[in-house]
Amino acid sequence: MVVFRRFESAIDQGIGRRKLGYLVIVLVVLFFLWFPNDTSQSNYTKTVFISGFFYAIMSSSWALLAGIAGQFSFGHMAFMGIGAYAAGLIARDGITFALLGVSISPESISAFGSIIIGTIAAGAVGLVIGWLLLRLRAAYLALFTIAFSELFRIMMLTEYDYTGGSNGLSLRPLLQIADVDAARQVEYYLMFGLLVVCLLALYWVANSPIGLFLRAMREDEDAASALGVNVVRYKILVFVFTSMIVGFAGAIFYSDVGSERIIPEQLEILQMSLIIAYAVIGGMESLIGAAAGAFISRYLLEAMRQVVITLPFGMTTYDGSDAFVWEPGFWRFALFGVVMVFTLRYMRNGLLYPIITWFSGRDIVMKETVSRRESDDNHAARIEADDE
Amino acid sequence: MSDLHLELNNVSKRFGGLQAVDHVSFTVTEPELIGMIGPNGAGKTTLTNLMSGMLKPSSGTIYLNGRRIDGHPPYDVTRAGLGRTFQITRALGRMTVMENMMVPGLAHNPRAGRADLEARAHEILTLLTIDHLTNELSRALSGGQRKLLELGRLLMLDPAVIILDEPFAGVHPRLQDTITNYINRVHENGKAIMFISHNMGAVFELSQRLIVLHHGAVIADGAPQAVRNDPAVIDAYLGHDEDD
Repeated sequence: MVVFRRFESAIDQGIGRRKLGYLVIVLVVLFFLWFPNDTSQSNYTKTVFISGFFYAIMSSSWALLAGIAGQFSFGHMAFMGIGAYAAGLIARDGITFALLGVSISPESISAFGSIIIGTIAAGAVGLVIGWLLLRLRAAYLALFTIAFSELFRIMMLTEYDYTGGSNGLSLRPLLQIADVDAARQVEYYLMFGLLVVCLLALYWVANSPIGLFLRAMREDEDAASALGVNVVRYKILVFVFTSMIVGFAGAIFYSDVGSERIIPEQLEILQMSLIIAYAVIGGMESLIGAAAGAFISRYLLEAMRQVVITLPFGMTTYDGSDAFVWEPGFWRFALFGVVMVFTLRYMRNGLLYPIITWFSGRDIVMKETVSRRESDDNHAARIEADDE
Repeated sequence: MSDLHLELNNVSKRFGGLQAVDHVSFTVTEPELIGMIGPNGAGKTTLTNLMSGMLKPSSGTIYLNGRRIDGHPPYDVTRAGLGRTFQITRALGRMTVMENMMVPGLAHNPRAGRADLEARAHEILTLLTIDHLTNELSRALSGGQRKLLELGRLLMLDPAVIILDEPFAGVHPRLQDTITNYINRVHENGKAIMFISHNMGAVFELSQRLIVLHHGAVIADGAPQAVRNDPAVIDAYLGHDEDD
């Protein structure tokens, strides 16, 4: 502890915590840029990372929607699915606007074009759902979005003639790279770049006046409205914005970048619950906390598929080995549940909150405020004593 | 001195079988200090909610400076120039005092620079004696400090008409002085202030005009001394001295 205090004071007097925080972010980014060039890493590990980036986008965008704007939605995976399914269906069947008499054939749409249309579709549905949710709060909003999410999943499952049912739907591959290693490399950078862009966009919104209004709305919609905040506009805006982000990420991920097909199983409530759990563990009011929570959780869940346990004190197993392999299977998720329960009970701002607070220097501001408050209270007490 | 004009015409609000506000009409054309009194359940807060857009009137119209505001959403009414506080304070708990001030600042004046708005917020917080709490989360404030914060947020909106719902309720006497000082200072700057209170001392000390509500209807509207002696008001609210 003493060593940490010395380190802390050296940082405060030297570079400053915030700058150190930026330095850490730069180092993390450099690590992820370097990682695929490490020849000792398998394609499997890269695939795990790609999946981690995707879930980091899902959780951080959900953190904006639920943690910052207070809209506790269970529909996030459904919006992702809308983006992916719409992109896949349009790339396969084309689209006809009967009223306008315009028809676009599948041949005339590129893979990226279909992704953009998928993104717009997710945003359009987000607009309608955002509007329908205007008068719903807290548990009612959560229940509504669960119902919406299930409705969409069941539609995708049932309409197998169009959607492929439980076999899922293949989207048009975004990248056409024959070499598997090279393809993994490009897919890795694509998803990582997408995560960086999404985080920057989410940060820009969260730190703009819009972010301030969203937080005011989360705290008290009526009070925010009485202070001049157009609650209707911002509620719809945050739904459209986050729906488009996850619609875009979903359409890219399932265009054979992270996965070769979207299946309705991905839209189950369990999957949505995992997104929420990642955000809660990382810190649902912090975009970077939620992203890191998702990435680290995904990585650990994968790493725990097979755990090699080396026995201490020269102990051996019945066959004479000093180590054994534990395959926890679904127990991984049970352990994950324990971590979540611990987080909710003891660290409601997420496991990464103390670290983020330290780097932001907010604890210094809090200490200053407390001391100023105490001196003010002493001052007030003195006046009161003088009065008497 | 200003083009202030708030006009309520036969405003009524009915909740099922209950007539909460009953054909209320009055006009405010000067930056007056108006006290609004009445027994519990007289319809004071409902009337405030109707004026601020939190509720839609069942009938009647409300105009502010020539613009019809009844039925408009609260943010629109606020931008039109009518600001309010709440009976139970509604500080934005997990936001700092400065952020609480910046929300109305930026909502009202989106093009203003943050530094200018922060300077203005600091000036207001100093006036309200809570400038040392700028970086404190507002949920850590005492009840009285939250009242002061609510009053401060209103000034960031620079409204023409301010409605204060029970500004003195549950407040330490020292803070009551700060609030009275605030009301006088804001009034001197040309704002019309309407405040609801059961604190008769403060009502008669501050008010230039008194509106009395009973069963949702206005039973008296005029100078405080005249209202104090009005038999209908005495019967409904103030009561008779035991000696009488």
